[in-house]
Amino acid sequence: MATIEIDKVSKIYHGNVPAVSEVDIRIADGEFIVLVGPSGCGKSTLLRMVAGLETISSGTVRIGDRIVNDVEPADRDIAMVFQNYALYPHMTVRENLAYGLKNRRTPKPEIEARVAEAARMLELGPYLDRKPRALSGGQRQRVAMGRAIVRQPSAFLFDEPLSNLDAKLRVSMRGEIKRLQRRVGTTSLYVTHDQLEAMTLADRLVVLNGGRIEQIGRPLDVYHAPASTFVASFIGSPAMNLVQGELHGSKLAIGPALIDLGKAVPTQGAVTVGFRAEDLQAAAPGGTAAEGGSMPLRVDYVEELGSQRLVHGMVGDQAVTVALSSDATLRGEMPVTIPIGRLHFFDAESGRRLPWSSAEPHRTATAPDLLETAR
Amino acid sequence: MSVSHQPRETERTDFVAVLAKACLVTFLISLGVVVLYPLFWMALNGFKTNAEIFGNPFALPSGFSLANYVSAWNQGIRNYIATSVIVTLGSAVCTVLVSAWTAYGLTRSKLPGKPFFVGIVLGGLMLSPTVAVIPLVRMMQDLGLYNTYWALIILYTAFRIPFTTFLIRAYMLGLPRDLDEAAIMDGASEGQIFWKVTLPLCKPILVSCVILHVLFAWNEYLFAMIFTSGADLQTLPVGLTSIMAKHGTNYAVVFAAMTLSALPIVMTFFAAQRFFIRGLAEGIGK
Repeated sequence: MATIEIDKVSKIYHGNVPAVSEVDIRIADGEFIVLVGPSGCGKSTLLRMVAGLETISSGTVRIGDRIVNDVEPADRDIAMVFQNYALYPHMTVRENLAYGLKNRRTPKPEIEARVAEAARMLELGPYLDRKPRALSGGQRQRVAMGRAIVRQPSAFLFDEPLSNLDAKLRVSMRGEIKRLQRRVGTTSLYVTHDQLEAMTLADRLVVLNGGRIEQIGRPLDVYHAPASTFVASFIGSPAMNLVQGELHGSKLAIGPALIDLGKAVPTQGAVTVGFRAEDLQAAAPGGTAAEGGSMPLRVDYVEELGSQRLVHGMVGDQAVTVALSSDATLRGEMPVTIPIGRLHFFDAESGRRLPWSSAEPHRTATAPDLLETAR
Repeated sequence: MSVSHQPRETERTDFVAVLAKACLVTFLISLGVVVLYPLFWMALNGFKTNAEIFGNPFALPSGFSLANYVSAWNQGIRNYIATSVIVTLGSAVCTVLVSAWTAYGLTRSKLPGKPFFVGIVLGGLMLSPTVAVIPLVRMMQDLGLYNTYWALIILYTAFRIPFTTFLIRAYMLGLPRDLDEAAIMDGASEGQIFWKVTLPLCKPILVSCVILHVLFAWNEYLFAMIFTSGADLQTLPVGLTSIMAKHGTNYAVVFAAMTLSALPIVMTFFAAQRFFIRGLAEGIGK
């Protein structure tokens, strides 16, 4: 096992197209880091640079004690699980698992022992003599993981390994990956565009956008204190409500609603205000909230999710989503309240988070803070 | 009203579908007859006497004696088949291996100016063998390869590489890159990736290429006639003309010889047609 240090790594494709820009990540020994972001944000490129499948334009990648920029992928002591499994279709499961060890001239008895151990761990024993085409999607995924495990590498790299599975299988495989990583304790770097997968798997999340890090932090820290409007809208389902507001002293105006914050916010004037759908509550009919601000919501449509209902509507001319319990009473126009402590403020132009102590009940962690901690 | 019309419309649609299918089946059967009947007729005439062939060319033979076939076999067909097999198999193996390596390089390497090299290789498709005959004869004579198996093996390989590379390259472009990368992560060298990963996955197109090459090399006449002069080195097409010259009036033996020469190629095609169709369909479609 080993640490992975990604230091000011950039990838610039021909024609000066930057795919990754000066990314810094320190991954502790045994840590599970998830790179998450939308398509084209550079997460897979970053992973492939760590793997050695892409050249690094600038910066250094260090695995353990050595800089691996110019080290061949096979000599980096890492194993990768690919999105499309990348199983050799003409080889049996046993041959697929053993191929990497054979190339490394591992003694035959050891190959057999390691393949047997991986097969036992992943419950692949009955399928060892089958070809990949005779396996289900989940079984193929397990073989792909087995191929990584048998190598006993110092780090695992996962490139969207669950994206080809159906929703149900994805949930169970997610649990399996997490359990497996805990058991073998190997440092892992995992790429996904699915924020739910990222939240559930990661020890720490790295949110990428346009080739740059938006935020690094533990999943709940990122959820409760997003560093920017991008992170706020990307992490969490439904996405955080982001509306335009005006700050005047301790008063916040959102459309027709005027909310008393109780204390002045350092920034004044136009801001982007964020609040989670589940933090909003329906006010009692005719009344206002005992604490927090109240806003009149004009209901557009409702999505029934079983355990709760998502109410989509407008506050003034701005769209807002409210998550209410499934037995909540709905009206065409209803007041909703938000606890003051659950409000997030972002710069109206840059989208960066603005300091607001009352809105940060959980420990906040921004990218520079956590980098410092990791160092 | 519209409801009452529905069954009648359905019946009409069914009738058109059945008619279309019947036409298609009739067309395919006719096509099959047009292709197979001459072969069948040729094989049957090998069992007849010369008098039967001229007297009643489309009738069945009076008996199925193998005398004509034995005679053709003993009068040179055996040697011609042996030469054809050596030249065809030798050039098929060389062509497919060289083309596969070339296609691998053209699809997988980070060679600068790759489109230029693809252009050069595929440009070979436009080279006419007839134009190159005289310099090739001089070259083979200078190399001491004239009138040897190698002359034909080298020429067949050289002239078929562009087309075979074109087919294999198209197929390789469709193979997922993840497999190569997985093999790289597994510590495989370029050679190991080619032999152990890429080549086995290309089996359908390789079989197609072998069949296409066998069809070409087995029937090739121009080079076989020019680059071989001894009777012991003649391939089937050249040998058949010799037999026809020798037995110009004994058509029964000539038919038997032609049937014997076609037999291996027909058998090869039927044995490997499953791969052949699949390889071409997958290779050309990408």
